[in-house]
Amino acid sequence: MFLLLPFNSLVVNLLGISITVLFTLLLVFIIVPAIFGVSFGIRKVYMKTLLKIFQWATLRIERGAKEKNHTLYKPYVNGIIAKEPTSLEEEIKEIRRSGSGKALDTPEFELSDIFYFCRKGIETIMDDEVTKRFSAEELESWNLLSRTNYNFQYISLRLTVLWGLGVLIRYCFLLPLRVALAFTGISLLVTGTTVVGYLPNGRCKEFLSKHVHLMCYRICVRALTAIITYHDRENRPRNGGICVANHTSPIDVIILASDGYYAMVGQIHGGLMGVIQRAMVKACPHVWFERSEVKDRRLVAKRLTEHVQDKSKLPILIFPEGTCINNTSVMMFKKGSFEIGATVYPVAIKYDPQFGDAFWNSSKYGMVTYLLRMMTSWAIVCSVWYLPPMTRQPEEDAVQFANRVKSAIARQGGLVDLLWDGGLKREKVKDTFKEEQQKLYSKMIAGNHEDRSRS
Amino acid sequence: TTVTSEQIEHLHRRFKQLSRDELTIRKENFDSIPDLEFNPIRGKIIHAFFDKRNLRQESDGLADEINFEDFLTIMSYFRPIEMNMDEEQLDRFRKEKLKFLFHMYDSDHDGKITLQEYRNVVEELLSGNPHLEKESARSIADGAMMEAASICVGQMGPDQVYEGITFEDFLKMWQGIDIETKMHVRFLNMEPIAPCY
Repeated sequence: MFLLLPFNSLVVNLLGISITVLFTLLLVFIIVPAIFGVSFGIRKVYMKTLLKIFQWATLRIERGAKEKNHTLYKPYVNGIIAKEPTSLEEEIKEIRRSGSGKALDTPEFELSDIFYFCRKGIETIMDDEVTKRFSAEELESWNLLSRTNYNFQYISLRLTVLWGLGVLIRYCFLLPLRVALAFTGISLLVTGTTVVGYLPNGRCKEFLSKHVHLMCYRICVRALTAIITYHDRENRPRNGGICVANHTSPIDVIILASDGYYAMVGQIHGGLMGVIQRAMVKACPHVWFERSEVKDRRLVAKRLTEHVQDKSKLPILIFPEGTCINNTSVMMFKKGSFEIGATVYPVAIKYDPQFGDAFWNSSKYGMVTYLLRMMTSWAIVCSVWYLPPMTRQPEEDAVQFANRVKSAIARQGGLVDLLWDGGLKREKVKDTFKEEQQKLYSKMIAGNHEDRSRS
Repeated sequence: TTVTSEQIEHLHRRFKQLSRDELTIRKENFDSIPDLEFNPIRGKIIHAFFDKRNLRQESDGLADEINFEDFLTIMSYFRPIEMNMDEEQLDRFRKEKLKFLFHMYDSDHDGKITLQEYRNVVEELLSGNPHLEKESARSIADGAMMEAASICVGQMGPDQVYEGITFEDFLKMWQGIDIETKMHVRFLNMEPIAPCY
């Protein structure tokens, strides 16, 4: 018992000292730069070191595979089956020609016509475009996270040790650090905005509010170890405009808001989110809707229009896809925000999946699990491009305008521009899409049938 | 068969995705494939997965759910030709595939495609066009059926009734069409990573 006592106090002392040191380091290297918006470049160095380590790890895996005389397989990116590039018409023509020798201009039905649709159906059952987008994008080199490894059996002892070390660092060092930072950031945001809210309206309040918001978002960015590269900052959104971006995860908000001062739009939640939202709105006019109001599209449009028309109010931040997509493509934009008639500032966000997969698969992970995954990844690396502003031309309607903006974002971010509705992840296809293919075929068969006399 | 183990693994992953990690798939699981909604004969294709005749089971009718083995059985109807098949194998291969298509038409499992069943298929295929009246679809189907009858039975007397297309007649109609080279789904080869030195 005697021996334990001094030992105990020694341990306690050591613990106390290390915690103090940690927090001082935290303050100096992370929080203070966040307040002033400068960066020491520590994260960039961290990123470079990590890349070197990943390359080494991949080499080891390959060497391991070579020793065993197997070949490693790169996970498929383009799907698992070869889809014929021919169109409906060509295929049916071909089959008919080889069969009864009839041309397609006699609009009649042939027994063999069923074949094309049958094969297409089986192809989509085996592998389809849309569902692929909704699971996390598959990587080429291993990033020391066991979540993303397909060639697991080729790992040598050295690599396992490295991976173990990685786990230790991520869970025991990085995670508590990040949680502490996040905590600091959020509490500063809530208290800061509440305090600023008591000030009388005026330039002082605006100035303080802007800086409180920016500071807290910057702390949160560091809490996630997000390494962001901003391009074309001269195109940043201005007052009276709407900022539109593609959506991969809830972190998008933090990434954009740490570089600009926006008015958020969204539904009021309960719990911690609700507290944050209510505090924020005291300092500057964000647009929050009650749950019941969200369904009423006209009300939503009215409030947004009012906000946008007031030039003193901040640009609105909106994610028109409506849900999180896995960052390899951009899905259909909902037309609501494009009907308002304000200038649209498109922004493209592209994450680099090598360091940590930012995609939130909301049907697979809840919010807390997701945040935990984010905070135990190495880092979140992304690029943000501010595209030049766009306005709706007189001859296009809201849907066409939305599609134009979507293409611009997809092109800039190197993402695939898909026509599909992001809401498909949860709902079923709208009936209008079903008709396209059927219409085409029936036009082929029966197109001129109305002219022929019925026999 | 020459389906490789990687291909089976792929299909297994796909099966798990469709079945949401359960051991069997039901009809409802196919609703999660948005691209399939495009397809006018979607109902018939899904039906084909549960058709006991296609599953090579002794009994007749429809299964409620299928497991991975059944899934593979159906997929095997779409495997590509192998280079070293002889005449007899090729013929059997072709008949198998055509039987699959025949079962799609013959919805009441009586071994014949009747006029009503034929009309049914045509209507489904043309169902997407809102401008096409039901009458037109019907007359197209009737015309095609008459044509089929003339190929299979030759000239019919005025009192003769054509009962339906049997499988042998069905085979006749597909003569000359190389179904075995077209009715397949090819797997893309996985690209092996070139090892760095």
